[in-house]
Amino acid sequence: MILIVDPHSGIPVYRQLVEQIRFSVASGLLEPGEEIPSTRALSAKLGVNPMTVSKAFGLLEEDGVLERRPGRPHVVRERRSGTVRATRLEQLEQALRPVATKTRQLDLEPETAVQIFRRLLEDEER
Amino acid sequence: MEFVFETNGLTKRFDGVTALDKIDLKVRRPSIVGLLGKNGSGKTTLIQHLIGLKLPDEGSVSTLGRPGAELGHDELKRIGYVPQDIRLLDWMTVEQHLRYVSCFYPEWDREREQRLLEELELEADKAVGALSTGNLQKLAVILAVCHHPRLLILDEPVSDLDPIVRGKLLEFLLELLREDEATILVSSHVLRDVEKIVDWVICLDSGKVVTDAALDELKELYAQWRVVSNNGDLPERFSEPFVLAQEVSGREACLLVKQGTAEMTVFRTTHGVEVSGRPLNLEEMFPILIGDESP
Repeated sequence: MILIVDPHSGIPVYRQLVEQIRFSVASGLLEPGEEIPSTRALSAKLGVNPMTVSKAFGLLEEDGVLERRPGRPHVVRERRSGTVRATRLEQLEQALRPVATKTRQLDLEPETAVQIFRRLLEDEER
Repeated sequence: MEFVFETNGLTKRFDGVTALDKIDLKVRRPSIVGLLGKNGSGKTTLIQHLIGLKLPDEGSVSTLGRPGAELGHDELKRIGYVPQDIRLLDWMTVEQHLRYVSCFYPEWDREREQRLLEELELEADKAVGALSTGNLQKLAVILAVCHHPRLLILDEPVSDLDPIVRGKLLEFLLELLREDEATILVSSHVLRDVEKIVDWVICLDSGKVVTDAALDELKELYAQWRVVSNNGDLPERFSEPFVLAQEVSGREACLLVKQGTAEMTVFRTTHGVEVSGRPLNLEEMFPILIGDESP
């Protein structure tokens, strides 16, 4: 698992960790049952406060993304396929929100924007 | 074209240790130049050559068009210098010190002096000997800029200033560039500060110039790529010459690259991966520039 934190980005580090782990799980990079490095190990590797890491883990537990196992590192929680799909859609919507804002600011018709988005998706396919 | 300063093969040795090794630099005005390097890389020694405090063993240095050994009244009155190790007259008050130094400079700008005292929050009636390190830095800066220097050299000027005053000082440096068309050479370890104002970066390592480039150019050159494979595991290592450092873990990788955007498209198709890139900031770039980043 590769996590990248920027302590100066203005986004709290725990948020950055939550977002990245959530994305990795949603995109299938992290598979159910897979072990997450321990708080200690991650804190040492990223050079951040262990409290920050455990705060992120705590939130991911609450969200049902990670599972706590006493005395052992967290694992990615098993989820029903319906939930996986829903999280993926949620992530995409979140990423597209600024694009929608920009489209309105540029005063472009939704159809045109959708066309461009479709073309970009197909370009990447090739 | 006159250079603000220029060095040709500048070399200096101390007891057999080469402190500066064939330094070739040319700086035109106006610009804000960041002088970067680890402790002991030669920054201060270079600065001392620029203002004639040290003379080269080999090669040459000239400042405002005159060789280091011949710097005289005409050049020195157009230079401002804040040393790392500030030594002022402890028994004077701030006000007395300002009056004392100002009498050496016919073009002393009293208005600028007063404004800076106020903006940087320095009390004029305080004794110099009683000033904190930060306040001493403020006074040294004010003493170095009120004669409208053409070349201002700041050796670690901001390290002891609080964030608010530091911000004001940086703003003021930009004003110097705009209004006096001064060239400012800043050596600092606070790279986040330097990054906001410099347009040019000179990097020293073990007495050698390892980088001499525009900041924008460096930012367009170095990037961090996050790579995710579309199908299966990534290769254990990427062998592209532009990959400076890498961490590969299963289907994902994080790379430090030196490249243009053209390489990204090629990389994407050759490896069947998704790549998202982001430019590096100066702090992240620094180890690469001085060659501390092992691939």
